[in-house]
Amino acid sequence: MEMLAVIFIVAGLFFLIVAAIGVIRLPDVFTRSHAVSLTDSLGAVLLLIGIAIYEGLSLNVLKLFAVLSLLYLQNPVITHATLRAAVRAGLKPWKEKAP
Amino acid sequence: MRPVSSQFLFLKTAALFGMWVMLSGRFDLFHLGLGLLLSFLVAWINSGHSPFVPRFQLWGRIFLFLPWLFLRIVQSSLHLTKLILDPRLPIHPRLIRYESKLKEPSAVVLLGNSITLTPGTITAEVNGQVLLVHAMDDVSSEDVTSGRLEAKIAQVFGERDSRA
Repeated sequence: MEMLAVIFIVAGLFFLIVAAIGVIRLPDVFTRSHAVSLTDSLGAVLLLIGIAIYEGLSLNVLKLFAVLSLLYLQNPVITHATLRAAVRAGLKPWKEKAP
Repeated sequence: MRPVSSQFLFLKTAALFGMWVMLSGRFDLFHLGLGLLLSFLVAWINSGHSPFVPRFQLWGRIFLFLPWLFLRIVQSSLHLTKLILDPRLPIHPRLIRYESKLKEPSAVVLLGNSITLTPGTITAEVNGQVLLVHAMDDVSSEDVTSGRLEAKIAQVFGERDSRA
């Protein structure tokens, strides 16, 4: 059981690292926010599932799922607000150069 | 006195009490009693404000829609991971103007939220039914541009979708 939890947590950490690499590698605000959305869509989910398995069946699992649903409701709002501000400030999305 | 719908008051109390029990984790008479009293009080104080009507059928259908969305999220996450880790960084970001046929504002909210939740596509601006979507590449934006996501949401809200 503990093994399974560790697998989930490590998988979650992998996606968090990929998101961090993405934030460094990608060229502008728009593409970087895509990378950040990886953290909540898979990274946090896998981490929380891992913790839930580690905890076993208890009230804490329910709390973890409450955290998860809040994350899923709020993260799109934050990302959307950031990007809307970028659009309204007149930022142009990065485009690859024509070959 | 404000007009109070007793059914609605009961629902709010139940929801708040569920939250209380989940967060306190104590099941003795004192804590449960205090929780019940306080949730009823809060529900009663707030009962005059909300014009909101519970729509259980809709919530149920949204709940059934979530597994499909989650599957798409996992798929596009893996796609985005591949893009980021590729040494050549093969991204083709673009802004897409997408006109939705959904009539209900909450349906448009669900659409925009689903788009943003899916890695690789983000709703940058919503104006009535027109969404400005930023996409990482054509594979990520496929669900949006093909109208598949919208068709699903139209189904959830019971709206006729002209495209499907």
